[in-house]
Amino acid sequence: MKSKTFEKLMEIIFLISASFSIIAVFLICFFMFANGVPAIGKIGILDFILGKDWSPSNIPPSFGIFPMIVGSIYVTIGAIIIGVPIGVLTAIFLAKFCTKSLYRFLKPAVNLMAGIPSIIYGFFGLVVLVPVTRKLFGGTGNSILTASILLGIMILPTIIGLSEAAIRSVPKSYYEGAIALGATHEYSVFFAMLPAAKSGILSSIVLGIGRAIGETMAVVMVAGNQARMPNGILKGIRTLTANIVIEMGYAADLHREALIGTGVVLFVFILLINGLFSVLKRKVT
Amino acid sequence: MFFSGFSTFSILFIIIGYILIKGVPYIKPSLFALEYNTQNVSLFPAVVTTLIMTFLSLLIAAPIGIFTGFYLIEYASSSNKLVEVIRITSETLSGIPSIVYGLFGLLFFVTTLGLSFSIAAGCLTLSIMILPLIIRATEEALLAVPNTLREASFGLGAGKLRTIFRVVLPTALPGIFAGIILAIGRIVGETAALIYTAGTVPQIPKNLLSSGRTLAIHMYSLSSEGLYTNEAYATAVILLIVVIGINGLSSLIAKRLKGDLNE
Amino acid sequence: MKKIISLVLSFILVASILVGCSSNNVGENTGGSNKKEFDLSKEIVVVTREEGSGTRGAFVELTGVEEKDGSGKKVDRTTKEAITQMKTDTVLTTVAGNEYAIGYVSTGSLNDTVKALSVDGVAPTTENIKNGSYKIARPFNIATKGEISSLAQDFIDFIMSKEGQEVVSKSYIAVDDNADSYAGSKPSGKIVVAGSSSVTPVMEKLREAYIAINPNAQIEVQQSDSSAGMQAAIDGTADIGMASRALKDSEKAELEDLAIALDGIAVITHTSNTMDNLTLDNVKNIFIGEIVNWSDIK
Repeated sequence: MKSKTFEKLMEIIFLISASFSIIAVFLICFFMFANGVPAIGKIGILDFILGKDWSPSNIPPSFGIFPMIVGSIYVTIGAIIIGVPIGVLTAIFLAKFCTKSLYRFLKPAVNLMAGIPSIIYGFFGLVVLVPVTRKLFGGTGNSILTASILLGIMILPTIIGLSEAAIRSVPKSYYEGAIALGATHEYSVFFAMLPAAKSGILSSIVLGIGRAIGETMAVVMVAGNQARMPNGILKGIRTLTANIVIEMGYAADLHREALIGTGVVLFVFILLINGLFSVLKRKVT
Repeated sequence: MFFSGFSTFSILFIIIGYILIKGVPYIKPSLFALEYNTQNVSLFPAVVTTLIMTFLSLLIAAPIGIFTGFYLIEYASSSNKLVEVIRITSETLSGIPSIVYGLFGLLFFVTTLGLSFSIAAGCLTLSIMILPLIIRATEEALLAVPNTLREASFGLGAGKLRTIFRVVLPTALPGIFAGIILAIGRIVGETAALIYTAGTVPQIPKNLLSSGRTLAIHMYSLSSEGLYTNEAYATAVILLIVVIGINGLSSLIAKRLKGDLNE
Repeated sequence: MKKIISLVLSFILVASILVGCSSNNVGENTGGSNKKEFDLSKEIVVVTREEGSGTRGAFVELTGVEEKDGSGKKVDRTTKEAITQMKTDTVLTTVAGNEYAIGYVSTGSLNDTVKALSVDGVAPTTENIKNGSYKIARPFNIATKGEISSLAQDFIDFIMSKEGQEVVSKSYIAVDDNADSYAGSKPSGKIVVAGSSSVTPVMEKLREAYIAINPNAQIEVQQSDSSAGMQAAIDGTADIGMASRALKDSEKAELEDLAIALDGIAVITHTSNTMDNLTLDNVKNIFIGEIVNWSDIK
């Protein structure tokens, strides 16, 4: 029948559309690796990843990105330490302790925070956060601490959004069961519902980590961007992303390929985190 | 817990308030002049560029994303290996940092495909970036459509395609729309990916192959030479207003569509 | 009800604290900042530009921060502790916001949120840069590769003509005070000019002035930095590259360059800084990290 072939045709079209994701990922992997890996090879993979000296303009240049790897990790951990507690608590507040009218006002506010472009956060960080952290904590203000605070703020909407959805999707029976057994409202939420929402909250944290590691524009304005090993939470560092964006504009030949190599390392990090997370998810459910 | 709740929101208000205070004094009608020139750093071309890029990227990504959603939910069985792979790749795409997208766009669209710095290169890169957003939104929207609706349609003799397009899709539309709005938000705020693909030229692009800058990049460029800091703040205000507007619009549309369907 | 009230009150409290703190530190540097004594024992906070910046390239060469090591190779010895900021404006904002910071920017970008120091007793004014007494000055160069289109050549002729140099001297310093009037052929076509973010503002003004007399031309000005501009000219992605420093030997091997303007680099500090003048040697030692505190400067 004509409509049967038409149906089949459409199904194939849908299938092709669906494969676009796969094609895209392959293309990205291919181009990144094809352009970055030879450079890593030329520099020597251990020298590249573990080398502590990034001086591409010296003659001869050295391309060690270890300081940047550590920088990215520190800043991300800092962002998680700041963002997760506040985010999860806010999510609990929104889901279980908030009045309906307040919610109608606060939820769009969270969505709004998610939409604010990262350069605006960066601007804010540069002009407000840097002087404030300097006054309160000392140091130059352009430091790991400032970057962590800014990133923590930036991942809040991600964590809040997903955690709140996770908490809301826990069946009411969990809550009611606990109440029936005599627990208070707070107790039931924290000890009956929260554990049930674990996987959703975990996935929000992973998404937050991904966002924090990948953030470029905001971080480059506040972190100081010193290309050396971190030596104090009040001192600055350079992240992998900042390294790329600062030097990509003018890099040539091996330098440029080294930056693409940095992108590859970043990419692999993200893949590892995602992979780890899927494994964890399978264990938890 | 209340403390964390309102510290979150006070931060939001402080950020917005600060930008407004610094920027509103400098919003003049001349900022919206048709041409950008160095006497008057109009942001109008940037607005036009942003609109064009948003529209084109959505044009590419929305059909692909929605069709992908259809395939994943309506056609394939959930234990299908292909579905697993598609889901994983989609998740991966959504986790890739925007600067990696920028590098990829530079390597693939600008250099290999020879598009040089252009709207075309920018849009193509952006559409890959927002694809996972639309796929996820479509999937969730389709999942939320009760199966009884589909079964009723089949029971009345409609084929699968007709069911999808006439029954399921309209019901799922608010959710899909929400995803599209999120995607627009992402496009409007994007900087790192576009600097290396669409370029930074402040003129209204004449055709797909010419370069242009979006509002976000305009703000970034203005702030870079120290000569136009005030205008940069003004641009930030406009950017914020656009983002707030988009968010507001999306909740409005979602509510309106839900309301219509519940009649 | 009580909860909402306490919520709102605490929010107002937090908000006012933060906003209050920030507005004290940012930009407003008139009478307020003299309340604080400038503490000379504090560490100098060095702010620099990214490595591809022409401003940085010129600065490190002219101040001696860049040196030749034993085997004749050039090494940029800027201290690793220096805060690297990506654009001129972020340098200005960082220095304006930190009483103990020091940095450098193009004199054409100076504003009154920061203080420009004299070097070796010479202030960075237009006259001093022109007559060579202010030592930290660099040419704005444009570069082309091989045969260029007639439009590119015509535009360059315009830049070097009397009208073009007039445009330049509005914010920078012309290289040729006695240039002839422009008498070009005004061809049509499209060219791309790319490179230094310091040169971009003046290049955009030149572009406007040129298009006013030759509306058939299309000139795209792409902003990045000096080394990117030179690279683009070598690659062919730009017809004309812009650099705010002298070309490197490797660039000179492939490109022809031409100076279109002169610009000074000012050493800037916070407005409350009690220093007014530094010797060139001091500038060098601060930026390589040998002088650590403000009190160590002799």
